[in-house]
Amino acid sequence: MIGWIIALIVVVMLGIAGSIGWSKLSKEHQEARNLPLDAVDFNKLDDGTYQGAYEGGMYKWRANECQVTVANGKVTDIQLTASVDPGAEKTGYQTLYDRVIQAQSLQVDTVSGATLTSKAYLQAVENALLQAQQG
Amino acid sequence: MGTVMTHRVFGEYAEECLAAVCEEVRHLEGLLSRFLPESEISRINRSAGIKSEPVSFSTYQVLAKAVEFSRNCPGCFDVTIAPLVALWHIARETLAQPPESAIRQTLPLVDYRALVLDPGQMTAGLRHAGQSIDLGGIGKGYAGDRILEVFKQFGVLSAYSNLGGNVVTFGARPDGTPWRVGIQHPRRQDSLIGSVSVAGHTVVTSGDYQRCYTDRQGKNRHHILNPATGYPAESGLVSVSIVSQNSLAADALSTTLFVAGMEKGLESLKKFPHTEAIFVDAGLRVYITQGLRYRFHADRGIGVTVLD
Repeated sequence: MIGWIIALIVVVMLGIAGSIGWSKLSKEHQEARNLPLDAVDFNKLDDGTYQGAYEGGMYKWRANECQVTVANGKVTDIQLTASVDPGAEKTGYQTLYDRVIQAQSLQVDTVSGATLTSKAYLQAVENALLQAQQG
Repeated sequence: MGTVMTHRVFGEYAEECLAAVCEEVRHLEGLLSRFLPESEISRINRSAGIKSEPVSFSTYQVLAKAVEFSRNCPGCFDVTIAPLVALWHIARETLAQPPESAIRQTLPLVDYRALVLDPGQMTAGLRHAGQSIDLGGIGKGYAGDRILEVFKQFGVLSAYSNLGGNVVTFGARPDGTPWRVGIQHPRRQDSLIGSVSVAGHTVVTSGDYQRCYTDRQGKNRHHILNPATGYPAESGLVSVSIVSQNSLAADALSTTLFVAGMEKGLESLKKFPHTEAIFVDAGLRVYITQGLRYRFHADRGIGVTVLD
């Protein structure tokens, strides 16, 4: 009987500790989720190498630093220079950086909804002119 | 098809596959084009009000789907819209608009319920003289699904086809990253409104900027007709894109939603799981459905709202 009571108390204590922990955790998550990202005008970037840092939220779990290279007005490289997260490699930050680099130029493979006909005609004209140049 | 096609295919038999893709498209055009007098669709149209015509499995399949999508949103999509299209085509030549009386007379002919399909006999026929079928909002979509089949047959690893603006992707890019499909800006010819990252999805866009003209009253008249009113759709949208694994559904739904408008369109979209939409309204604001939240990338200066 005593054993059961102790077990019950332990369970209750764990429950309380868990819910306190959870409320702190969810506050922290909430903060991360609501992190404001200010719009950067990618049209107005000066060439150079820049360092950026984020202090990492209420428990500093997400602190990290990076280095961004801008060449010819475009972001060409982003490197993670420091991170407190031991599992940083698993977070896929590299994919995220690649997306930033790609998104600024919106390089696409093909276009949906384009009325290609007129362009195709112009292309033919251009090809003809190229031949004319060589002739 | 009267449109430009671009294909990009990766795989051991890419070249043979491309030849087969072109052959398949030619074959389908021969069956489905209403501009080819010997096509099965032309035969059905000529026999309207007289008799049903025997059709191939492909034609039967696409007609059955077309009826299904016409039923899905009555008054937004109708496979028998051809008589109205013809009326507007003539008007376009003279930059006028068809006389109201002509539209009134033509409207009753637009009725998919009078398209009779007999699965036992494999025949299709139109009940009333003057009726005719236009697969404009669905034919290219069907061709897209068939092209995917060809890709599969040839063991293709990665590919996309662009059929006059309908983009069909097969797998991801050769490096494993998704294909990036641009969405045409409805008002600036050389711009995009954004792009979507997809692998194995089709992206189809219907917009008021395609095949449009300005009539003598200065009104922009585009090619997507409202089968209920007989006039070009005015639903407050200038462009709708659908992202779906089924190319035919994407094609039919982009037209349907363009005519239906955002609210009614979202309602009818609920019947199609894993089907996402991008709407652009007259103020060039972009609205995307939940599933595209991380897959749509807006171009600079384009505001995006994620719909619930």
